[in-house]
Amino acid sequence: MSRSVFEAMSILVVDDSAYMRHLLMTLLQALGVKEVHLAIDGDEALALLHTSEPDLIITDAAMMPMDGFSFAHRLRSIRGRALSMIPIIMVSGHTDISSVERARDIGITEFLSKPICARSLYERLIQVIDRPRQFVEAPTYRGPDRRRRDRPFEGQDRRNTVALI
Amino acid sequence: MHERRSPSRLAGKEAAETPAEVRFVRVPSIAERKLGSDYVAPMRLDPRILEQMQTTIRDLETQYADALKSQVAMLQVLVEPACKGDADARRRLYALAHDMRGLAGTFGHPVIGQFADSLCRYIEQSQSEDWGDGTVVTFHVDAIRDALENPRTDPTVTMETLNALERLIGATRRQRSAG
Repeated sequence: MSRSVFEAMSILVVDDSAYMRHLLMTLLQALGVKEVHLAIDGDEALALLHTSEPDLIITDAAMMPMDGFSFAHRLRSIRGRALSMIPIIMVSGHTDISSVERARDIGITEFLSKPICARSLYERLIQVIDRPRQFVEAPTYRGPDRRRRDRPFEGQDRRNTVALI
Repeated sequence: MHERRSPSRLAGKEAAETPAEVRFVRVPSIAERKLGSDYVAPMRLDPRILEQMQTTIRDLETQYADALKSQVAMLQVLVEPACKGDADARRRLYALAHDMRGLAGTFGHPVIGQFADSLCRYIEQSQSEDWGDGTVVTFHVDAIRDALENPRTDPTVTMETLNALERLIGATRRQRSAG
């Protein structure tokens, strides 16, 4: 029988709701994830990243004192470490276009709206684990390539020159 | 056909100019990295695993139903002091509504989730934490309690209640801006 990638993964869940942390942890365990770390807000998550380096982060958007946006921004701003490129799935009840755009422009990899369902969580995880987008490092943005569709555009195609890590 | 892309709003003025240094880094997939030679592309959704996840949610439903009852009871305790301006009561009331917004729908209480979402949006958008005379918050808490007590309410009634709450929020805002 083939190995499941989930069994080999370490995932950090950041949410101020104890129930949501419990739900996400239980769902990840049902998928086979053996190592799930929990943090109650962005501050605790950043502190945790000093001692462990997860393969993926699932974070809530609205938390106190450090919310998911600030946490993601801080993480993406770390220079010179692979840690800053960890895929981030943001879970949020704010599904208006401005929140989604804000998440995208901060470098969030995938956005998952609340209430969450098993299928959408599973699909987002597959997307992140198996179909990574190339990572962009620019003076004003660090995060996964925000262009998901390959359509012609005006200007220089800088995507031709990629570094492989 | 060419796509003209506007720069990110967060990026500001700098994005309008050509960035001096832009680097694209190809990141290997986690699946490939973790599984090595066992990796079979592409990864697909396994219906058996999805079923396991859905069973997990169903198993947690009973546990959540008990917690939800306590949370709704707590909302009713908090609503009066919160509407009178008690900061701690307001913080706790919002935290409970925020929890319901995120979780109630997942555990089979979508109507409570919708009312909680409406309440959270009202609180988030209230300028200077002005809750007026508290009518909007009180009506939301009542709607949440009713939804819990009558889970089989006709969806049309639910929609009408949500619309009525929206109208009430609109009227309260207009009244407030008129002075």
